[in-house]
Amino acid sequence: MEDLRVPIGSFFVILGILMLIAAGLARGNAPLAPPNVNLWCGAANLVFGGIMLWLARRAA
Amino acid sequence: MKPGAIDYLILAIYFAYVLGIGWLVKRKVTTATEFLTSGHSIPVWVTSLAFIATNLGAQEVIGMCASGAKYGIMTAQFYWLGAIPAMMFVGVFMMPFYYGSKARSVPEYLKLRFDEKTRGFNAITFAVMTIFSSGISMYALGLMFELVLGWSFTASVLLSAFIVLVYTYLGGLTSAIYNEVLQFFLIVLGFAPLAILAVWKAGGWNGVVHRIPPVMTHTWKYAAHSSENPMGIEVFGMVVGLGFVLSFGYWCTNFLVVQRAMAANSMHAARQTPLIAAFPKMFMPFVVILPGVAALALNNMGIQGILVPKGNAFNYDEVLTRLMAQFYPSGLLGVGLTALFASFMSGMAGNVTAFNTVITYDIYQGYIRKNAPDRHYLTVGRITTVVGVILSIGTAYIATAFNNIMDFLQLVFGFVNAPLFGTFLLGMFWKRTTANGAFTGLVSGTGAALATFALTRAENKGGFLGVIHEFPSSMAQNFWISIIAFAVCVSVTAIVSMITTPKPDRELESLVYGLTKIPHEAGVPWYKRPGPLAVVVGLLTVILNIIFW
Repeated sequence: MEDLRVPIGSFFVILGILMLIAAGLARGNAPLAPPNVNLWCGAANLVFGGIMLWLARRAA
Repeated sequence: MKPGAIDYLILAIYFAYVLGIGWLVKRKVTTATEFLTSGHSIPVWVTSLAFIATNLGAQEVIGMCASGAKYGIMTAQFYWLGAIPAMMFVGVFMMPFYYGSKARSVPEYLKLRFDEKTRGFNAITFAVMTIFSSGISMYALGLMFELVLGWSFTASVLLSAFIVLVYTYLGGLTSAIYNEVLQFFLIVLGFAPLAILAVWKAGGWNGVVHRIPPVMTHTWKYAAHSSENPMGIEVFGMVVGLGFVLSFGYWCTNFLVVQRAMAANSMHAARQTPLIAAFPKMFMPFVVILPGVAALALNNMGIQGILVPKGNAFNYDEVLTRLMAQFYPSGLLGVGLTALFASFMSGMAGNVTAFNTVITYDIYQGYIRKNAPDRHYLTVGRITTVVGVILSIGTAYIATAFNNIMDFLQLVFGFVNAPLFGTFLLGMFWKRTTANGAFTGLVSGTGAALATFALTRAENKGGFLGVIHEFPSSMAQNFWISIIAFAVCVSVTAIVSMITTPKPDRELESLVYGLTKIPHEAGVPWYKRPGPLAVVVGLLTVILNIIFW
């Protein structure tokens, strides 16, 4: 494997997308969760994964 | 807690990635050296994150959250006092000897510096410890998933063991290290939201401070007397026992973590590894301890279902999963559960990859077959990987039958490395230390530890040969056992060394301070040199201690 940042980046991008989908479904089963928690955390995962992929691309 | 389809999908994708990394690494692993030691090929940012991830097992995460609720922010001493100084020391002072000696394992360094018997003693105790640690954490994971998700104990134990086996078998240490980095990010991104949400719900940090007793939000203020803080320890036992003996014994001599730094691609990178790792390490309390502290505040606000009673106290071990059930909706819950699984697997893979190296190089090559071709040791390494996983599963089942034995072993593992640090300190920095001195010192230090445990008692633990002292808490007992074991090891080693013949200087090159060329750092920018890096780490840690004093 050339660069570990590629699998890590793509993994968190996928996670981010899945959480955004979950945010769209908006099925609240956690009593104390604030309304948009999946949206925010999904975005955070997406950004982190994106940065990793960008760093890997820049290094290549 | 009811995970939905999306949560199981996240877990499945994670498993696919973990196995995929193992498969991708496999193509590069063709020799025993690459399989067992990564052939000094890993970049420093990877070894640094693996260095702390391998210690961040499931029990660590669950236990730290539990301790946060039980003891408050003082738990952070296990990081700021009980890890950072030792990580600075191993990077600046010890790594030149580990990496420079060309030893492939910690026991092998002992053989080069001293002789076979010290190595054999360390290799065997270490191998036994890794198997039991891995089995005990597998047991903890099985129990937790049975309780929280209703999975069968056997199913979760076998599934996780199988996945760890596949990727360590395929890619060896490199695969384990790469996966530890993925696991590290997953643990941070999976648990940090819990800390943020729990503190937010309790009204921010100020809200937490107002809702719980002041003793729970300070690290040093109430540490002077054991009766004033919930940990039941006093400042001397804490600083010397935890901050010096226990933490240096763990971070400087435990092959599990040292192996990660030794896999780095240069001496320079090996020395940087623990120092760079110290930066994320010092902030980990905000991810793993803070949710527990906030859980206590939420409970005091009258929120039910987070801290549930157990006997006349709370069931602290369930705090983490109960917080997740309250705060994580489907989606984020999948990430949280996957992070739990990941933290477990990083702990187990770490143990397995350290176990196979010690067995192959220190036991098999050392005592059974000395001069076989490299291919042979690659096969042996792969077989010991399988054996290690099977033995771990075995100990996990022993744990289900003999709960008390496992509690006891965990206590013993807590202090068994304490005398070893004495052996290393003298061996690396005093060239007069002899092989016989080191061996008698190590054995009597270990004996002193067991004897102290047998003669003192705390929280009904220990004292089976009579009680000559009662400690206010088992933590205090643990710290003092380590202090005594270390003192005995150092004194016996020094005395025996004075009356036995030391090795000649030429045999101690690159093994001992004063006879080893310390790597030249000219031309390297100051912020990449170990010394200045350690100063920055130290200053930041002091600032954190002042903020939460």
